[in-house]
Amino acid sequence: MYPRAIPENRPLSRFAYGLLVALVLALWLLPLFAVIMTSFRSFDDVMAGNYWGWPSKIQVFENYAAVFQQSKMLDYFLNSLIITIPSTIAVLVLSTMTGFVLSRYPFPGAMVIFALFVGGNFLPQQIMMIPIRDLMVATGLYDTFWALILFHVAFQTGFATLFMRNFIAALPSELFQAARAEGASPWQTLIHIVAPLVRPALAALAILVFTFIWNDYFWAVVLTQSDAVKPVTAGLSNLRGEWVSQWNIVSAATILVAVPPVLMFFLMQKHFISGLTMGAVKG
Amino acid sequence: MTIWWRRHRNWLTPALLLAPGLFLFLVVIIWSSLETFWISFFDWDGMGVKTWVGLANYRELLDDPQFYVSLKNNLIWLLMFLLAPPAGLAIAFLVNQKIAGMRVMKSLFFMPLVLATVTVGVIFTWFYDPTFGLLALLFRAFGAEAPALLSNEHLVTFAVVASALWPQIAFCMVLFLAGLNNLDEELIGAGRVDGARGLAMLWHVVLPQLTQVAFIAVAITIVGALRSFDAISVMTAGGPFGSSTTLAYQMYEQSLFSYRFGYGAAIATILFLIMAVFIAWYLRGLIRAEKGA
Amino acid sequence: MNSVELIGLDKHYGQYHALKSLDLTIEKGEFIVMVGPSGCGKSTLLKTIAGLETVDTGKITIGGKDVTRAEPGDRGIAMVFQSYALYPHMTVAENMGFGLRMARRPKAEIDVAVRRAADILRITEQLDKLPKQLSGGQRQRVAIGRAITRSPDVFLFDEPLSNLDAALRTQMRVELSTLHAELGSTMIYVTHDQVEAMTMASRIVVLNKGAIEQVGSPLALYANPVNRFVAGFLGAPRMNFIEGTTTEVGTDDALVQLAGLAPLRIALRQGATVKTGDPVTVGIRPEAFAVGGSKPASCPARVRLVENLGRETVVYADASPLVTSGSDTGTRNVTIQLGSAVAVAPNSEITIGFDPADAYLFGSDGATLTPAKPEIQSR
Repeated sequence: MYPRAIPENRPLSRFAYGLLVALVLALWLLPLFAVIMTSFRSFDDVMAGNYWGWPSKIQVFENYAAVFQQSKMLDYFLNSLIITIPSTIAVLVLSTMTGFVLSRYPFPGAMVIFALFVGGNFLPQQIMMIPIRDLMVATGLYDTFWALILFHVAFQTGFATLFMRNFIAALPSELFQAARAEGASPWQTLIHIVAPLVRPALAALAILVFTFIWNDYFWAVVLTQSDAVKPVTAGLSNLRGEWVSQWNIVSAATILVAVPPVLMFFLMQKHFISGLTMGAVKG
Repeated sequence: MTIWWRRHRNWLTPALLLAPGLFLFLVVIIWSSLETFWISFFDWDGMGVKTWVGLANYRELLDDPQFYVSLKNNLIWLLMFLLAPPAGLAIAFLVNQKIAGMRVMKSLFFMPLVLATVTVGVIFTWFYDPTFGLLALLFRAFGAEAPALLSNEHLVTFAVVASALWPQIAFCMVLFLAGLNNLDEELIGAGRVDGARGLAMLWHVVLPQLTQVAFIAVAITIVGALRSFDAISVMTAGGPFGSSTTLAYQMYEQSLFSYRFGYGAAIATILFLIMAVFIAWYLRGLIRAEKGA
Repeated sequence: MNSVELIGLDKHYGQYHALKSLDLTIEKGEFIVMVGPSGCGKSTLLKTIAGLETVDTGKITIGGKDVTRAEPGDRGIAMVFQSYALYPHMTVAENMGFGLRMARRPKAEIDVAVRRAADILRITEQLDKLPKQLSGGQRQRVAIGRAITRSPDVFLFDEPLSNLDAALRTQMRVELSTLHAELGSTMIYVTHDQVEAMTMASRIVVLNKGAIEQVGSPLALYANPVNRFVAGFLGAPRMNFIEGTTTEVGTDDALVQLAGLAPLRIALRQGATVKTGDPVTVGIRPEAFAVGGSKPASCPARVRLVENLGRETVVYADASPLVTSGSDTGTRNVTIQLGSAVAVAPNSEITIGFDPADAYLFGSDGATLTPAKPEIQSR
């Protein structure tokens, strides 16, 4: 282990070190903490400039209720779910198939296709903005859920393929030789061998892809216009324009946007970390 | 049919499995990216007819002062973003201890990573607020007046990058923590027996084991710097007076607000050329690692 | 002068008591081999000597200096790791010279030391290669070479041969013994392989559950184990243990009743604490058994399995009601080792026997009750 472990027989040093880390952490999360605090404050506090002191009145319920009732955040929130959940499922299915083929069926050009997936995924998304917007307008999908779903599925399949390929490639090859020796077709191998074994990878990938899509802002503004389809990130940006000085309400909305990915992260923390590192480190 | 299928299924099934994902990715992502080059040779408002103008868009770009502002800002993004890997490594070192409560603190350190860039943008806009922000409070504690970072054209980009660094550092930290988990215990032991300690241990024994992770952290950081858009859009909308645009933001603005899609495409092409260098470097490393393993 | 002295070493991992107040004195130039089952604390002990692990209490001196709190690099030791732990990004020469480089020695001196070590181990040709370009055996040499380069007072080896194939392991074993003779340095060697222990050690330390069971020369430990654990640990095939009871205890011998045999008269050492009616264990080495009725204590048995190894034959025979406990095979068969190729048919009926003078007697606490036997048997 590096740095050297602080020995267990020195509880005082360990405690002091823990305290030091907690202090750094407090500084690290200070901005987030302040936003959470503000989402509890009254507008009077905000006007009086009481951002950092103790709230004069704690109004958690009022602020969050205001976000739901007086803004369209609830609609945006549902829009985001409608876009994110099916996209995530589609990405998982597609990338399991592509990852399986690219890791287990070496054919001439496999490396090129793989490089295409990885390289395309690294492109700044702005590069493809104009033709994709054009494509969506031409097909009549512009400003519908389908536009965002289609794009996210296509784009995330790149990263997800890299991820699944690495995971499936790490499975013991004897397993696949055994399946072949027993006469399993590629399709049977995929269903009976690969699918059960990649479940942990899929869990990790699901969280990552969900977070990526949920957090997207660029395509939300490029491909949507009307409130009926706008996801929550674009909605938050709008809301900030409408509720200029009401920082307590804006803060509450900000926290709301952050809840699903943060929840995902804490529920499936192990998968999240292993997922990020599996997808990235092994790549 | 069935006999034919049985004979060919060993290559047909994989082909069919690969097809949908590959098709979608090729058409939407790759084809669109290539189409951008083509569009960059036209004058086009996004709806009407495209008029071929050859290299005119590029010529105009070279004379556009805004282009150089964007280029300079992209460079600032890139250089400042490269602080993320070492900073992430430092925090990873800090929390790599098995002490009660450390697990929870580790996950809290990751937190900025899962926040949307919009969320981060809103949080920091407000953090920088010259009247009420935390920064203002800090300055006042020392009896100074806080600069209005986001409306100062010399400081604005630095302020925006600083906010974007927050999740980026968290990301690098996750990668390095994973790397530290995989350190070879016996190698560290050998280093200690050989009398390496502190910085010598870090330099000669620990860092060489982290090169793979560091490579990925740097690659992802560079991509992140070049595709910077969300934070600018949320915090400054390119302002004040276009002083905080990057190539990504400028092309977005030119296309969607000024309806100059051809010109926007030319900017995107330049961005791609810069990017291509890094992607090529990354893929080379990737394929080399693949062959080595 | 004592080379290494361990006084009252004690260590816990959380609730787990890894080292239990260990004492050991090692003379200069000794080749000490520490053996024991996995989890016995032998590797932990080696790491505490190296300074890679700290101790809760106790004192470690190396060359007369108290190094209990010293850094590994300051202890005058060098270590060879199980995985070799070569720095993958450094050439062989850089690997070997790294310790001296860390000690800020002049470059010329490092070169000389590396060259000398490379000559000893015949790896001069490999000096500019990277570890990944070497075979397992060559990496092993480099790891040893790295230790030699530092010219330490004490060499520490942590199961260094366990990753090598059988042929290479034998070769390296011989080379290590030769190296020890050449350098005359103190060496401490951890292994679970008793052949390595028996062949290389000047003294063997048998560890069990964080405590030292016995220390002594290989032959002394083999001939006179202090308890049932050591008796069972050294020797392959393993000693046969047969449970029984004493029917009569005299001043210097006892009558022991085993199932299926006439009572045996077995000698007792002075001060052996055993009473009439106590449960005891009789231990008989496989090579002490003979086939045929030539030995004083014999009984019929049915052959279950024969392993013909050419120069020796191992017979597993069912002699019930005479049954063994805790055998290698997991059965209650008696293991008999015969000194040459012998024609014994599976499933045949044979008579097996032994001389009670060759038997060991262990009390219910495991302690040896029989008097010392000669280390080398005259045949």
